[in-house]
Amino acid sequence: MQYDDKSRVEKAKKRAVVKQTEARNRVELFRHLPQYEHGTQLPDLETKFFELDPMHPAVYKVGLQYLSGDIRGGNARCIAMFQAFKEAIKDYSTPPEKTLIRDLTARISSYVSFLIECRPLSISMGNAIKFLKNRIAKLPLALSESEAKSTLMLDIDRFINEKIILSEKVIVKHAVTKIRDGDVLLTYGASSVVEMILLHAHELGKHFHVVVVDSRPKLEGQLLLRRLVRKGLSCTYTHVNAVSCIMQDVTRVFLGASSVLSNGTVYSRVGTACVAMVAHAFHVPVLVCCEAYKFHERVQLDSICFNELGNPDAISKVQGRKEINYLDGLVNQENLQLLNLIYDATPSDYVSMIITDYGMIPPTSVPVIVREYRRDHLWS
Amino acid sequence: MDFQVVVLAGGNSKNLTPLVSKELPKPLLPVANCPVLYYVLHQLEQSNLKDLIVVVEGEDAALLVGAWISGTFIDRLHVEIAAVPEDIGTAGALRAISHHLTAKDILVVSGDLVSDVPPGALAATHRRHDAAVTTMLCSIPVSGPSESGSSGGKDKAKKLGRYNIIGLDPSKQFLLHIATEIEKDARISKRILHAVGQMEMRSDLMDAHMYAFKRSVLQEVLDVKDTFQSLKEDVLPYLVRSQLKSEALLNRTPQGEENGNEKVSSQNNQAFISRILANASTPSFHGIYSKNPDGSSSTRKTHKCCVYIASSSSYCVRLNSIQAFMDINRDVTGDADHLLSPNNIIGPSPKLGTKTTVGPNCRLGEGSEMGDKCQVKRSIIGRHCRIGSHVKVVNSVVMNHVTIGDGCIIQGSVICSNVQLQERVELKDCQVGAGFVVTAGSEYKAESLAKKEK
Repeated sequence: MQYDDKSRVEKAKKRAVVKQTEARNRVELFRHLPQYEHGTQLPDLETKFFELDPMHPAVYKVGLQYLSGDIRGGNARCIAMFQAFKEAIKDYSTPPEKTLIRDLTARISSYVSFLIECRPLSISMGNAIKFLKNRIAKLPLALSESEAKSTLMLDIDRFINEKIILSEKVIVKHAVTKIRDGDVLLTYGASSVVEMILLHAHELGKHFHVVVVDSRPKLEGQLLLRRLVRKGLSCTYTHVNAVSCIMQDVTRVFLGASSVLSNGTVYSRVGTACVAMVAHAFHVPVLVCCEAYKFHERVQLDSICFNELGNPDAISKVQGRKEINYLDGLVNQENLQLLNLIYDATPSDYVSMIITDYGMIPPTSVPVIVREYRRDHLWS
Repeated sequence: MDFQVVVLAGGNSKNLTPLVSKELPKPLLPVANCPVLYYVLHQLEQSNLKDLIVVVEGEDAALLVGAWISGTFIDRLHVEIAAVPEDIGTAGALRAISHHLTAKDILVVSGDLVSDVPPGALAATHRRHDAAVTTMLCSIPVSGPSESGSSGGKDKAKKLGRYNIIGLDPSKQFLLHIATEIEKDARISKRILHAVGQMEMRSDLMDAHMYAFKRSVLQEVLDVKDTFQSLKEDVLPYLVRSQLKSEALLNRTPQGEENGNEKVSSQNNQAFISRILANASTPSFHGIYSKNPDGSSSTRKTHKCCVYIASSSSYCVRLNSIQAFMDINRDVTGDADHLLSPNNIIGPSPKLGTKTTVGPNCRLGEGSEMGDKCQVKRSIIGRHCRIGSHVKVVNSVVMNHVTIGDGCIIQGSVICSNVQLQERVELKDCQVGAGFVVTAGSEYKAESLAKKEK
């Protein structure tokens, strides 16, 4: 939904569960994206805990975790959402005079709109929800309610196993063939797939060095760094402002993605495009590791038309250093606007190869996979 | 939402004699002409929690409370009254009704808590962190002009020495240490301090006695430790102290889902999934503690004790002393008057005599009559009172069916029901128990007058 269309925003607000106040000072270029005042949403949602009757407690819990930032990362969000939906389906019973298919679809849609209000959906979650709705719609009418529910839960399990877990294993298997002894591998942020590749390669006995590049305000690389160091890998940690210095020593770059679009653009955490561009300038191959369920048939040319705006206060504050408060009084001024983008788009020219569970493909083959395999496997 | 609510309404209370008696148990003690239990039940009703268990000490008190509840809340709430023997403490009361508890989480509210903090916030925090227990903390209420006199003097000496010490982690989400009424030393667990790194000690917060427990944890603690009497003093500090070494007590592995999958591959998948989810979020110090240095999960089991800190703009006071009673009465008519239900302002038919002034923050019950030239300031007067002329009532609480003769001066006192004050009585900072007759012309200062129990 485009948020600069006033009438639609008003309608959505009426139906909304989470009451959100729009932030006042917004960048003109990003007015079509939702930007709410952070800090008021969580307490407001908490006070309404017992009043949201149609909401299942598991879905509510996941929504709260999204809102407070307790769960991050495309795979984790998708898995958490599916686990909550499984609980909801388990406790679901068809009301009298209604069909299971329509009512359950409507119920799932209401849960999804609640989750969107907590935090905009990632593309992987969108694909997963499409899959679920498709499976519900294809349920044969002759099934009894308990059989239908168990079929759905099995389908969800199958999706998670095949599309997320198994595909991660396949990606890891492909990717470790690209790691040789003596390599210096660079990664940005904290991608679950890249972490698994590095750990697996280490287990296989390969000798390599890892450079973890991180960026404010989320500093996600620190968690990855902690886990890698604990397993005994030799690591270097730096921030994105030094990436052009460190790129001289790097032999390969492994990046994760939130999604890969049909023109080969990689939609991933903000800063990835920067890293990929610098790698390209230094002739370092860039390998993007992404599960196939995250592919999308959309085409995006820049980072502006579709993105997510995060909490602007996170940029102006440094965690743990309260004395750095230079922007404290200036937040509400007219000529200062804080912009905290979450995602960015990396053009396909900077990407050497995409490693998916269907194999290692060039970025131009993404629409082929979307076209051929999506119809067969995802929505069969 | 799978929450069950238990209201601990108590019965008799030694701190509040002579206000509390056999005919008037503590939960029915009127605050601004409305029993204190009303505030708790109203708050729960507004949060859409309609199925409650109210635990009262003593059979007679339970009958009285039950009668009042069914009268006031017919069809609005579904309340189950449980009577427990007297003096078994809050933990004992929960033990007695333990077989009634079926939901996944239990919300325990004290019946003498007057506050406007929504219980939903506490419940949401509890669920979000998957905690074993969540406590609500509020700032210590500033008490009004404290009573002078013998009982007040003793309290003052006590107040100077006693503190509530609360230890929180840097993100103010987890409870690391709790100790109430400390006089000299406080002992802090080194293991917890070591695991978390930084602990913030606060003495300006107090435990508001609204808890959310995981039912399995609560029942296990009550079964195993059957000497525990009080939730606030025994159970909660025990859970907080043992939050990093709970293997002896609590079985924390989620056995339900894992047992169903016999195949090794599906167990591997479960492990995979939980690893992805665990890696996605910043681990709390519990997670870090329960891992061995090389990253594998060790057998150390932990449980989380979370807090919800009520914002400083919310009102939260417990009625557990006479001073608190006066303060709550004053606040509810003054600053916190959003707590009152709308049908509680000056009743429909108080008869005021000529030249009688009633101050702004007062409440007069229905059927009360006042004589001429009276002054009522910052006070609450109950129903069917007969107040004579030239009477001055300042800063006091007068309950129902009281007769006050002419020329009385009442300051800072509490006068219970059915009391008769004859002419020219002067009371300052006194508490007069129910049914007492104060003879004419007497002057009392900071005393507690009660009819001798026969």
